[in-house]
Amino acid sequence: MGYPHKPHPKETVVLSKYFGDAEARSYKGWVKRGGYEALRDALKQDPGTVTETVKASGLRGRGGAGFPTGLKWSFMPKEKKRAHYLCVNADESEPGTFKDREIMRWTPHALLEGTAIAAHAIRAEVAYIYIRGEFTEPFAIMEKALAEAMTAKVFGDLKIHLHRGAGAYICGEETAMMNSIEGKRGNPRIKPPFPAASGVFGMPTTINNVETLAAVPHILKHGAEWHQKLCLSNPKSTGTKLFSVCGHTARPGNYEVTMGFPLKDLLYDLAGGLPPGRTLKACIPGGSSVPILNREETESTLLDYEGCVAKGTMLGSGGVIVFDDSADMVYQIMRLARFYAHESCAQCTQCREGTAWTTKILERILAGQGKTSDLDLLLELSENMTGKTICVLSDSCAAPVVSGIQKFRGEFEDYITGKKRPVLAA
Amino acid sequence: MSGAAHPPEGTEAVQPVFVGKTLADLERILTRYPTKQAALLPALWLVQGARGWISDRDVAEVAEVLGLTPAYVKGVVTFYTMYHQHPVGRHFVQVCTTSPCNLCGAEAVVQALLECTGANELGATSPDGKWTIIEVECLGACGFATPIMIDDDFIESVTPGTVPELVKKYL
Amino acid sequence: MADSVINLTIDGAPVSVPAGTLVIEAAKQAGVLVPHYCYHPGLPVAGVCRMCLVHVEKAPKLAIACATTVTEGMVVHTQSPDAKAARQGVLELLLINHPLDCPICDQAGECELQDFVFQEGRANTRYAEYAKRFNPVEDFGPDVLYVPNRCILCTRCVRFMEDVALEPVLNVSERGDRATIGIHPDARLDHPWAGNVVDLCPVGSLLSKDFLHKARAWELDKTASVCTGCSQGCNVTLDLRDHTVVRVRPRPNLAVNRYFICDHGRANYRWMNRGDRIEAPLVRDGAELRAVDWDEALARVQGIVRGAGGRAVTIANPRASTEALYLARRLFARLDWTGAFQAVMGEEAALAGVPNLALRAERAPNGAGATRLGYTRDLAGALGAAATAAVVLVLDETEVAVPTAGALIYAGTVLPESARSAAVVLPLANMAEEDGTYVNRDGRVQRYFQAKPTPGMARPAWWALGELLATLDGGEAPGSAAEVFEQLAASVDGFSGLSYATLGLAGQTMPAGARVPT
Repeated sequence: MGYPHKPHPKETVVLSKYFGDAEARSYKGWVKRGGYEALRDALKQDPGTVTETVKASGLRGRGGAGFPTGLKWSFMPKEKKRAHYLCVNADESEPGTFKDREIMRWTPHALLEGTAIAAHAIRAEVAYIYIRGEFTEPFAIMEKALAEAMTAKVFGDLKIHLHRGAGAYICGEETAMMNSIEGKRGNPRIKPPFPAASGVFGMPTTINNVETLAAVPHILKHGAEWHQKLCLSNPKSTGTKLFSVCGHTARPGNYEVTMGFPLKDLLYDLAGGLPPGRTLKACIPGGSSVPILNREETESTLLDYEGCVAKGTMLGSGGVIVFDDSADMVYQIMRLARFYAHESCAQCTQCREGTAWTTKILERILAGQGKTSDLDLLLELSENMTGKTICVLSDSCAAPVVSGIQKFRGEFEDYITGKKRPVLAA
Repeated sequence: MSGAAHPPEGTEAVQPVFVGKTLADLERILTRYPTKQAALLPALWLVQGARGWISDRDVAEVAEVLGLTPAYVKGVVTFYTMYHQHPVGRHFVQVCTTSPCNLCGAEAVVQALLECTGANELGATSPDGKWTIIEVECLGACGFATPIMIDDDFIESVTPGTVPELVKKYL
Repeated sequence: MADSVINLTIDGAPVSVPAGTLVIEAAKQAGVLVPHYCYHPGLPVAGVCRMCLVHVEKAPKLAIACATTVTEGMVVHTQSPDAKAARQGVLELLLINHPLDCPICDQAGECELQDFVFQEGRANTRYAEYAKRFNPVEDFGPDVLYVPNRCILCTRCVRFMEDVALEPVLNVSERGDRATIGIHPDARLDHPWAGNVVDLCPVGSLLSKDFLHKARAWELDKTASVCTGCSQGCNVTLDLRDHTVVRVRPRPNLAVNRYFICDHGRANYRWMNRGDRIEAPLVRDGAELRAVDWDEALARVQGIVRGAGGRAVTIANPRASTEALYLARRLFARLDWTGAFQAVMGEEAALAGVPNLALRAERAPNGAGATRLGYTRDLAGALGAAATAAVVLVLDETEVAVPTAGALIYAGTVLPESARSAAVVLPLANMAEEDGTYVNRDGRVQRYFQAKPTPGMARPAWWALGELLATLDGGEAPGSAAEVFEQLAASVDGFSGLSYATLGLAGQTMPAGARVPT
């Protein structure tokens, strides 16, 4: 919904039902709204049964990768020989994405309940909720909610701890997050081994996104079939998703729609279209790490995992960044490249040097010192940065660069030929 | 999470950080993890909360308390951008200028802040010692452009127009 | 428990290796060196440099050979167009901030960046941004300089200190292309084994102050040798320029020192270059020592030994070769012989992450060899015997004065004051100037090789003593150190079955329970 929190009629309100409702933050308020019933039921069930339900629901990871959640849970060892851990990814730092913050700010108990159900399913004794350092308000709200829930003893033996990040986008990568929890630099790990085999402290671990876990209590309450039916297009993409609409839009905000919802309707209807007198130029549907769509593509994309892939992009985190005709695509892509250059952990050569070089070439173009060969250089450099590193930050930098040059080549050429005046100092 | 404490200018804080309540906080935190090392990020937050920044001396103290080497701790401190390795102004301001906010005028907000506070240069502390302003990457509030943080306060929807009043509030 | 064997194909060649082998190691069997930086067999795998990307059939992406385990039937192509393009991409990216320092960089000629760029890199750069990142040179500690501009962030040095030395005194600081290797301001890189980071550094980023600007890599003659710093017996390579030893580097030996040597051993080479050597054989002529040729000097010694009755004592430097020690005892077979040596002792300093590897307290390379040949550490007793002995042979021991009523024969490299009363002085080669063997504290017999010519008229000890014995016993003088070792192996219990051929470059352990000759 936009702000103030009033759902649009075309939204499917599940996760966002209590956004804007301050009473829902308290334990009592949450229980009054039917909270913690799903957890009580889940704790009575066999962990395997809970996993099967989530598997059958078709829920997929909402952090960006879209990996089937129940399947991920089933990777944990069948025989319980060692401590199991659940890590909750509340590091939300993907440009364009601001949904997990809302979930934590307004419905902290939804996250806690989902965490506890997941922990039960994977037989974890401890859960760490990794909240990015800048989220001071959500952290305080989560702290209070956690204390209340602990007092009410709803979690059984499960220990839930909040762990505060300290400013690193890369810690949203699951293996980097585990390193960060262990008190190390947030460097992603090479895989194998995979977290379910050797994760945090070398123990079997599952990492889930905030939005993913917030959906779990609903699935347990209403059943897998209910979740499966929430589907407008491809049966492999089910449930609802919070799409964070931002940039050049009249009503920025989080909009909750059923999977398969047309992106066109999200932008023009729910988010109120573009600022007055402006037309759509481009849109990134899934956070800055996915390819940019041009106007025609944007207006024909269905918002689910397969629908986005069909258009050559990805659903990602669902951070929808809108660019109208006043946007300088070259400048914005440079700014995105600079983001990745700042956030690179420095392990892999392609990422460490490539993100910085990409940024420098784009800055040079914006300073009026670009050459025609620079565009081929950027494309080749992006090719070198794709599919060759420990994690996909490198690929993420390449995505807007490649799609930007492919679809908005004219804007780059305008700077190179001098048709457009430099906007940066040389 | 209280605001940063600043020792008066000119005095060297030679007392250890982990005494009294801070030590009790750390001991409580240590119970959450199977290793001492895992308490490193929380420990560094405690230091920054007490001192306003993390000096090399603090790094050595944290290392000793957690059974790590100073070099190791320093490597971690320099990785995470929210830990200050130098003293900063009374108010530390972070402005998001990544693309979604950039599209909505974030850079104009930065300019307004620099002018209004007298800091004039990114990363520098204003002459009156009250402000340090930096650009940061996505703050996760893209729908509330432009979000800024002043110390631990997260403030949404800042525009050049609302900057003067905001600055006044913190003076 | 037998390891199962995995069969795979690398660049068309069939390869069979134990299960669990990394592709990069398996490739060596096919004669293929996969280009790499961060990987090192002595360090835990990091997988960060991305240089070792290879094409594995049926895999969705290129794989890094250093972190990919072999599987049955795997087909690997290291020279496929996509793998080569990827590696060329890595090299181009490494060079955008790496300064063109080759003309002034110590690493030139032995630089892995040079090597792989020459082999697989682009001929010219496309980096038109001009400004490269710049950081000043840092002094990390006693011997190590860090040049951040040349650093390729392979993290070998960090991993060595953290996982092999078990003292994490180096870190990676900052993030992204601002990252460098760092050290806490209050700390110094003074760990006894820290010098290894200089060897491990693939480029000229970590440099040895001792070796700085001393020689170009291609001017160096390299010879396999054994460290004389202590009884651990680390295998080393002596690097010489114009017949002068300028550097000592570790030589891999998985049974002794793996890939490392300590800083004490690393610095322990200056004595090999001493100029104040005994230049010619000397015989006593009244109050003076007169220079003569070898025949005359040996004849004089022969006369002394033949005419001697009763006690004979050999005081040996525990840096003497096993061959020399053996002959120096056999020389006095007819007499009541005592042999002894004194080893300087120091503090032990282990390389904590490697089992059984340390700078040993006994600062001598052949104490174990001497012991097995009947020499004792009871120097006081030997000195007592020497006082009334008929003949005393001092074998290159300069620190111990040996007063005797009998005849003193001094055979060594330099002439100490206390030996000026000798009847005969024989000039010997030092260990860098001869072939020989040492026995380390674990009973491992290891060969060292001649690295430089002997100065003046000096000769190896095995030759001089061998000649003497031949004239005394009437046999043939040995023509090589190998021959002496053969004789040794045939007559001394612990050495049986060993020969220079079987010792090779890695050495062999003596059979356990060898009797020490009485």
